[in-house]
Amino acid sequence: MDLVLLLQRIFDALFNSAIYSSLALALVIIFRSTGLLNFAQGEMATFTAYIAFVLLSGPQPRLTGGGLAGLVPGVPFPIPLAIIGAVVCGMVGGAVTERALIRPLERAPDLALVNITIGVLLATNSLMGQWWGTGPRVFPAVFPSGAGQNFTILGARLRYSTIGVWAVLLAVLVLLILLLRQTRTGLAFRAVSISHANAELVGVRVGTTLMYGWALASGFGALAACLSANSVLLEPNMMLRVLVYAFAAATLGGLDSPKGALIGGLIIGLSQTLIPAYVPFIGFELSVLPALLAMVAILLVRPAGLYGTKRIERV
Amino acid sequence: MGLGGAALIAVVLAVVPFVASITGVRQASQIVIGVLAVLGVNVATGYGGMISLGHGVFIGVGAFATGYYVDGLALPWLLAIALGSATAALAGALVGLPALRIKGIHLALVTLGLAIVFQPLSKRFPRFTGGVSGSGIDAEFVSPSWWPSDTRMATAVYRYLFCIVVVGLALWATWNLVNSRLGRAMRAIRDNDTAAAVYGVDLISARLQTFAVSAGLAGLCGALQVVLVPFVSQEKFTPQASLVIYATAVIGGLGTIWGSVLGVIASTIVGKVGQAAAGADGFGPIGEFLDLLDESAFVFGVGLILLTFLFPRGLAGIGRRNQVTS
Repeated sequence: MDLVLLLQRIFDALFNSAIYSSLALALVIIFRSTGLLNFAQGEMATFTAYIAFVLLSGPQPRLTGGGLAGLVPGVPFPIPLAIIGAVVCGMVGGAVTERALIRPLERAPDLALVNITIGVLLATNSLMGQWWGTGPRVFPAVFPSGAGQNFTILGARLRYSTIGVWAVLLAVLVLLILLLRQTRTGLAFRAVSISHANAELVGVRVGTTLMYGWALASGFGALAACLSANSVLLEPNMMLRVLVYAFAAATLGGLDSPKGALIGGLIIGLSQTLIPAYVPFIGFELSVLPALLAMVAILLVRPAGLYGTKRIERV
Repeated sequence: MGLGGAALIAVVLAVVPFVASITGVRQASQIVIGVLAVLGVNVATGYGGMISLGHGVFIGVGAFATGYYVDGLALPWLLAIALGSATAALAGALVGLPALRIKGIHLALVTLGLAIVFQPLSKRFPRFTGGVSGSGIDAEFVSPSWWPSDTRMATAVYRYLFCIVVVGLALWATWNLVNSRLGRAMRAIRDNDTAAAVYGVDLISARLQTFAVSAGLAGLCGALQVVLVPFVSQEKFTPQASLVIYATAVIGGLGTIWGSVLGVIASTIVGKVGQAAAGADGFGPIGEFLDLLDESAFVFGVGLILLTFLFPRGLAGIGRRNQVTS
């Protein structure tokens, strides 16, 4: 086996790993606090990537499509500012979704909440297609990713962009940990994650805390979408496949474990690149199949994943 | 099912061939067979309590299989349709295997994943699916010699009637099934699987059968698609298509046969109104939102959210007293 090639493939995989990890984190934050899988997470994230796209392109109605054209700022934003804008919009969107669509159904059965997220998925997806067209858009690279912009380690190229996304991901993770460990809201969030009823009894506002959780998750999703929009091309279905990888990552790590999401994303990202490379039948096109099979296998054999809480059912 | 409603539907269906153009008859046939896919979701989710977001996959399997049987193996049409549906049922049983352990929201996740994987997967088997661009079916479903005429219109009407008969039979069979021993077992499992097992329901066999029947119905829809349009392509089986079928089933009302019919009727009406609204010009910024009404995915997404809030039991549940559910 060619070791340099293997190392190269691992380096290439690390970029996707970071994206899957951050989207998986978004899914885990919501699952941990509400027990809900947000199927619309990917579409909500894609929507914010379009917002970043609109902010970046300035007053060019042809590029921005009909929707929101009137709201486009007069000057194109620089990339970091556009992404921050998208993340803020994403957080507001997440909070509004929780408040308007999820909280009123607090006591409804699981099926109702699945329906809501599927509804949001479908509506957002076709809204994007209508406003911005279904064709792919070129989203500028956030980090220098051209030819030669890389470190060479043992003959394999490690791109600056890979280091960049990991730096952003780790920085945001440190912020998240600080938020959870050092602030009142973080404490409230941890309490709510353990038990809604008990948290309410000691005076935590459960609804508001969950709303913050959704905002946080959507922020992570927005970041994932903006960082990956350059490599996968911005289009309405951009995050559908990414969502499968992210769900596989979250399941592998344990659906309620942030640490698991990070490690799961790493493993799924690596396997996405390595499996098609060494198993010819799978090929690039089908690389999403192993992720799905892994997800099914984990749910069958060890539903708690690597780091998740084992669920005990009372009969 | 209300007798009046059924009579009204029968009258509308009978009038269509006399007033509609050839395109209209073909569209009407597509709408009629759409009931089967929605009914499939209804059996799995509404009666069996297993959320399936990936029924487009089984339509696809049914269509590809039927195309292969009738073209590749040169089987007679009726046999090919039956086998195509059976193949989808088999695929459903395979998918149902993990559903023996994976439940609720996690099963929804797996079936959504399946819907997303299906397109790339079917491109991998071009012999059956025609690969990326799809393939035409050479065998044609033509009317028999006793049919009065063999013009294109007459053939379209024959296919239309054939679809109505098949869908009618499927509705009748499903109605009987859900009121049979298996149907009661399904509902018992849906409401409380532990209790059902205690009462002697074989969970494994009941769940597998439910999923197989449900997938078989969707596969029958796929088989009839090949009858109507002799062309199969993976392009039709997008994840969104699967989700729209799911949304139709929920909007119509889960857990009643009537609900599936109602869901398809509602989607047809909304589709026509949406087309008209999108065609209307001169509303300025509002016009842009009117255009959205033509997007079935948008209407279904919003409809799904609204129905969940207003009528949690779907259109079929409007006006009925709410049952106590846990």
